[in-house]
Amino acid sequence: MKKFTKVLALALVSVLALMAFAACNNGSSTTLPDPTPDADGTITLLIGGVGPLTGPYANYGLSVKYGAEIAVEEINAAGGVNGMKLALDFQDSQGKPEAAQNAYGNLIDKGMDVSLGAVLSGETASIVAAAKNDGILVLTPSGSAKDAIADNDNAFRVCFNDPQQGTVSADFIADNGLATKVAVFYASDVDYSNGLYETFKAQATKRNLEIVTEQTFTDSTNTDFSTQINAIKSSGADLVFIPIYAAEAATFLTQAKAAGLTDVTFFGCDGIDGILTKGISTEDVEGLMMLTPFAADSTEADVQAFVTAYKAKHEDKAPDQFAADGYDAIYTIKAAIEKANLTKDDVTNFHSRLVAAMTQITVDGVTGTMTWTADGETQKAANALVYRDGVAVEYTVAG
Amino acid sequence: MTAFIQTLVSGLSLGSIYALIALGYTMVYGIAKMLNFAHGDVIMVGAYSVITTVSLSANVPSVVAILVSVVVCVVLGVTIEFLAYRPLRKAPSLAVLITAIGVSYLLQNIALLWFGSEQKAFHLALFDRIKPIVIGEVYINGITLITLVTTVVIMIALTLFINLTKMGKAMRAVSEDKEAAELMGISVNKTITVTFATGSFLAAIAAVFYGGAYTMIKPTTGSMPGIKAFTAAVFGGIGSIPGAMLGGIMLGLIEQFSKAYISTLWADAIVFVVLVLVLVVRPTGLLGKKISEKV
Repeated sequence: MKKFTKVLALALVSVLALMAFAACNNGSSTTLPDPTPDADGTITLLIGGVGPLTGPYANYGLSVKYGAEIAVEEINAAGGVNGMKLALDFQDSQGKPEAAQNAYGNLIDKGMDVSLGAVLSGETASIVAAAKNDGILVLTPSGSAKDAIADNDNAFRVCFNDPQQGTVSADFIADNGLATKVAVFYASDVDYSNGLYETFKAQATKRNLEIVTEQTFTDSTNTDFSTQINAIKSSGADLVFIPIYAAEAATFLTQAKAAGLTDVTFFGCDGIDGILTKGISTEDVEGLMMLTPFAADSTEADVQAFVTAYKAKHEDKAPDQFAADGYDAIYTIKAAIEKANLTKDDVTNFHSRLVAAMTQITVDGVTGTMTWTADGETQKAANALVYRDGVAVEYTVAG
Repeated sequence: MTAFIQTLVSGLSLGSIYALIALGYTMVYGIAKMLNFAHGDVIMVGAYSVITTVSLSANVPSVVAILVSVVVCVVLGVTIEFLAYRPLRKAPSLAVLITAIGVSYLLQNIALLWFGSEQKAFHLALFDRIKPIVIGEVYINGITLITLVTTVVIMIALTLFINLTKMGKAMRAVSEDKEAAELMGISVNKTITVTFATGSFLAAIAAVFYGGAYTMIKPTTGSMPGIKAFTAAVFGGIGSIPGAMLGGIMLGLIEQFSKAYISTLWADAIVFVVLVLVLVVRPTGLLGKKISEKV
């Protein structure tokens, strides 16, 4: 009897293992079907978005969703893309990678034609992995971690990746003649900060920016920056690049100003967004610059049109970076469809043609003029915001 | 040369704050023979008291804010002693130590609950009025000088208090032998309460200078300086008042010079290596009392 139980258990285990194996294989290497026309012969392309619409990160998800909605409405009102309409289905993930993966499966079942990946980096990575063998175009508006779109040739992003901001910052500083001698102040125990520092350093060397001093701190030494400030002061730097988060940036700036380090420009990336909530005074934040591809107060016509449309729909709230990324993602999909010559009469090999078009398009969006590399990264110029009287406004050469 | 002097200045600044905190540690240890690990967190409460008082109205004088902070800290210190340490007077010292760590976490979490985890700016109008001193290219923050002077004054005052007053004599007696002191008619409890009140007063003063120098306060603000100041007290010889001063200044200098000339990453490690070396050579610290062991 005992032996029988053992054999039975073994048999059950092997069946389970086989089933798991089968489940793994299921769906792989079978590319999704091409879009099919409705009964009346029209084609509506389903764009599937996933992101946190509830929970602690809901602001990011909602921004992307609202931005994408406006673009879809605009495109449909203008007659669609090559005779096809767009539809957006945006699912809630609460920012959890597992929930995002389920939502992705759900959207595939609904007949999704293009995926917007997800909003946060972690959930984007899980969708990018799940979509690996589906052949579908995954275009994340805002998943910025370097690895979020790795290992999937069909995955692209609208935003810069994290370390890319370092490169772009060095270019921006050199292009605008902000400085020739640069000091870097970064958190040596934070990936984000380290990554930005590395790429900034590499690009700064190419652009003949002299890095005169590199100062670091760690999580356990983030209260007293006096030695670092002294070193920066005596280094003769014109600009201090601070690829760090808002809380430390607030402490650093306050101490730097108190120590008389007032004749330099401080320049940070998206990590310092929200610095005004970290206890820093309006005087101490004055003149701080922040790299961003999108500035809501830009005078460019397309940006103003987007901002106006967004404000009209959402209680006069100006769109943020995430909303702009969502908006540009939809227009990028439109551009790729047009480039691939996909029309309502010809949607054969829809997915592979769409993906192939991604590296050939140039999109003039609200976050800049973008092109894409084969590994899914976007190339675009960046703007900088500068804090004036406690408000971040677009940096202009004269200002 | 400028950089060297500038580092010296920031070392003295940090060191005098460590010294101020270490004085509180050493007072309590020297007399009550216990390590009050909640001392750093009393400093944090002191700093929040200042912030809260100042935020009540635009024209609260800085002095009032400092006084409120002193009162809050003294009341808090005495209360902690009464509720958490007094019942354990006869318990093994390990139990008291664990209780102190518990109190430390309790204070941090209450602060987290009341003030939130976001850092808050510490701003006293008083410090704005003190102009920085610039000699050549060396920039000396006004707060640095005041901290240093205040610490020296407090150290001298404490030494005089303990050596010349009646209460000081009682403290020394309690430190020497609690039971004998009790037999001589000294109220041990009262003496220890006064000790804690003094220690907490020092914490409030340290809070004001810490906040002034490092500008931002959060609920965990007290823990790291607390540990460093404890190290400084051990360094100088725990229980010795000039020792705490010397230890604090030394520690501040070693830390800032390691940061400036070796590596910011290694600064803490270097501080503790020096501590170990000192303790190997002089187990009771730089100015510690020699303990004659009974065989």
